[in-house]
Amino acid sequence: MATTTAAITLTSSDLLTNALALSASMTLYQGGTTATGLEEFRMERLNIPIDDYGGGTATNFDLVKDTTAATEDANYFYCINKNTNATHYVVISIKDEVIGRLYAGDWMFIPWDCDVVHANGSSIEVQAFVAEATLEYCLFHNGETLVTAADS
Amino acid sequence: MATTTAAITITSSDIGDNAISISNTATLTTAGTNTGLVETTGLARKKFASSSNIILLDHGLTSGIAADVTADKSAKVYIRNVNDRGDGTKFVNILLAAVEIGRLYGGDWMFFPWSGGAGKDVEFTASDTTETTLEYMVFYE
Repeated sequence: MATTTAAITLTSSDLLTNALALSASMTLYQGGTTATGLEEFRMERLNIPIDDYGGGTATNFDLVKDTTAATEDANYFYCINKNTNATHYVVISIKDEVIGRLYAGDWMFIPWDCDVVHANGSSIEVQAFVAEATLEYCLFHNGETLVTAADS
Repeated sequence: MATTTAAITITSSDIGDNAISISNTATLTTAGTNTGLVETTGLARKKFASSSNIILLDHGLTSGIAADVTADKSAKVYIRNVNDRGDGTKFVNILLAAVEIGRLYGGDWMFFPWSGGAGKDVEFTASDTTETTLEYMVFYE
C-alpha cells in the first residue's frame, strides 16, 4: 500500500479585513476502504496545440480518457498550466460540461468519478486558447482498463 | 488589489520506485491579467443529512454570490468534506450541473476553476443520509 498526500494552503493578507490562512491535507485512499492508499498513477507534461492563433476554433482534446475500471471509484486529478503569459489559458471540461479556465500558473485538483454511464462519457478534456499551452498533470487512480493493441 | 495564493503539495515516497513531490503555488488573478482577485464568499460551512441532490452554488439566484460568477472569468472554488473518513464508504458526489465531477470522501478537498454561467450550478449528492459537513469558499471577480 502506498501513502500519497495532497495538501492545500490558501493565504492572503489583504483580501479580507483579517488574514486568510487555510490549510487542508488529505491522504489518497482507494474508495470503499478505511485506509488503503491508491497504488497507481500517471504523470505527464505535454503541449496542447492550438490550430487557430487568430482566436477562432481550436481543437478539444481528451487529456484523460474515461475508462471503465475507474468508474465509481476514488481517482484524483491534478493539472497545472505552465505557461507564463497571463492571457494564455486552457478550458478544462468533463466531456460536454466546462469546469473552468486554467490561466497561466493556475492549477486544479479534483476527485474524478469517471462516470462512463453518462450519455457523453466522462473523459477529462482540454482546449488551448490564445496560444499553445504546456500542461503538467497527474492522475492517481485505482485501475485503468487497458486498450488492446490493434495488432494483437 | 489583493494578493491571494493557492499552494499545493502532493507527495509520496512509495507509490513508485522513486518518490514523487509536486509543489506549486498559483496567485489568484482576474481573467487574463496579473491583477489579483478581490472578491470572495468567505469560508462557509454547511451541514446536511440528506441524500438528495442539493445546490451548493446556485447560478439561478439573481442576487446570490454565484450569480456574480459569470462565464468566462477566473473564479476558483474550494470544497472540503470535513467528516471523518469512517469506513470509507460514505462520500459526497460533487456535480457541475448534471455531470459528476467526483467523490469527496471524508477529509477530502478539491480546488478548481469555475466558469459558471446559467445553469452551471455546483451541486452535491451524499451517498446516504449520514450528517455531513462541507466547507467551501469561492474566489471570484
